Amino acid sequence: MTASLWIIATGILAAAACGLLGSFLVLRKTSMLGDAISHAVLPGIALAFLISGSRNPIPMLIGAGALGLITAFCTETLHRVGRLQQDASIGVTFTWLFALGVILISMYAGQVDLDQECVLYGEIAYVPWDVWLWNGLDMGPRAIWVLGATFLIDLVFVLTCYKELKLTTFDPQLAESLGISTRLFHYLLMAAVSLTTVAAFESVGAILVVAMLIAPAAAAYLLTDRLSRMLVLAMIIGAASAVTGYLLASWLDASIAGAMATMSGIFFALSFFLAPRHGLLPKHFARLSTK
Amino acid sequence: MFAKRILAVGITFCLTLALLGCNKSASQAETSASPSKSVSPQSPINIVATTGMIADIAAQVGGNLVHVTGLMGPGVDPHLYKASEGDIHKLSNADIIFYNGLNLEGKMTDIFVKMARKKPTVAVSDAIDPKLLREPPEFAGHYDPHVWFDVSMWSQAVTEVAQALSEYDPAHANTYQSNAKTYISQLDALDRWCREQIAQIPKDQRVLITAHDAFGYFGRAYNIDVVGLQGISTVSEFGLKDIQRIVDLIVERKVKAVFIESSVPKRSIDAVVAGVKANGHDVAIGGTLFSDAMGTPGTPEGHYIGMVRANVTTITNALLGKAPH
Repeated sequence: MTASLWIIATGILAAAACGLLGSFLVLRKTSMLGDAISHAVLPGIALAFLISGSRNPIPMLIGAGALGLITAFCTETLHRVGRLQQDASIGVTFTWLFALGVILISMYAGQVDLDQECVLYGEIAYVPWDVWLWNGLDMGPRAIWVLGATFLIDLVFVLTCYKELKLTTFDPQLAESLGISTRLFHYLLMAAVSLTTVAAFESVGAILVVAMLIAPAAAAYLLTDRLSRMLVLAMIIGAASAVTGYLLASWLDASIAGAMATMSGIFFALSFFLAPRHGLLPKHFARLSTK
Repeated sequence: MFAKRILAVGITFCLTLALLGCNKSASQAETSASPSKSVSPQSPINIVATTGMIADIAAQVGGNLVHVTGLMGPGVDPHLYKASEGDIHKLSNADIIFYNGLNLEGKMTDIFVKMARKKPTVAVSDAIDPKLLREPPEFAGHYDPHVWFDVSMWSQAVTEVAQALSEYDPAHANTYQSNAKTYISQLDALDRWCREQIAQIPKDQRVLITAHDAFGYFGRAYNIDVVGLQGISTVSEFGLKDIQRIVDLIVERKVKAVFIESSVPKRSIDAVVAGVKANGHDVAIGGTLFSDAMGTPGTPEGHYIGMVRANVTTITNALLGKAPH
């Protein structure tokens, strides 16, 4: 019973952190950044292993975090300097980095079980037992602390820079003319995304993070036209996906991360069809009634 | 404003949840620290084992005093195993957990190490002398986890299980030790049988070619050269050179068959067969070997001894060029 509560709480925290930042990613047309980072960390892991000689989580996290930042940086540079579209620059960056990782591993580390799945990605099912010991005291699951801290950092970042983030997202020209550096806030946001995704990968696994970055934010996007509401709705939808996803997993005896991600997709579908103004059905009926 | 109010509510909610959780986990730790329950066939020890091979040992050693649940079913690749919601309750309710160790279970291994504070979790490979473990020369300490293919080495895992059960339930220690003895003598007979079977194959053609490097210990124990297409991990990709190297080897040593594995896709070995055909030599697919998982429960291959016998029969028949029966 306690184990279930911890897992649900971890899911909610991951969903909240991802929903908050994912909303900005959706609005800035860079939703696939999370997926890109999940692949692009591979060379970071390989290098961390070759340098440290161990598969301990700390060097792996440092390697992965560094590559997350590099991915976000390269993506933006290609887009800004090379005038490449966002999706193309994300695509080029992560496939190239992932390929580099595959080469590194087959060259130097072919005899050791080394890949994201094995050394970086956590599994939300094991969260209750992966406790943090502090002076011999059981402080509860480590994932709760890691994700809680990540969520708080993200929250403080978004609350303090809310106006700047809003302006640089919706009207970069206006922001520039007001003296707000769009580039600075873009890099800050990307840094927050990389750190959040890597921390969340380590705690709950990749599929859940990639889904939670996009689906709840996209659902919230269809439900409202105001940024503040969208952020809150994305977090609520994410949290609801975590709770109902757990119930689904328990009912089907299936993978928890998979079920949570599935529920986030179902919530998106609901919002796609039923959202008051942008939903498919309300639009359809509105058109019928005007005829 | 609206946003901030909801956020405040959200944060309060999360904190409450965290506090509730803390209290609960403290009380749980107390109950699980209580001494072991009295064991009888009516209230058996609840054992969770990761792979089928380990579940088999636990069932043999514990007899009717244990109830064994295996986590990974037939045909499952333990490197890539994903826990389901039900597994959490199995792990929560277990009295003792047995796992392979040496990183076979991937990230799960770390969890078992941490769980050891709350309940006995035993890596059966701990019993094996580290000097006997295969490790790649470049990376000391990252051992090959596929220890169960050397039957005599696997007997040591039986001793480890008997030891752990005796510690948990000292009242029945004699039963566990004598059950272990019986099982080990069966394994000794199996070990001798494997040796005799493999020795029938002419030395030159005694090459076992499979998709991934699971049979290193097997090759060392029974004197057969083992060549794997992939590395130790089932996820690492094989290179073009690997295929060419193996094709050359097959042609040169006139190897009659290559093998597929039950938990690894067969497309990689298909590439080798096609390559050999292109060189004007013929190589058969000798059959499917059980590697990281056993056969379906209820069949002879659903047990460790049956699985090893099936593998050895498949290998011997195919490399001698006999038709499989």
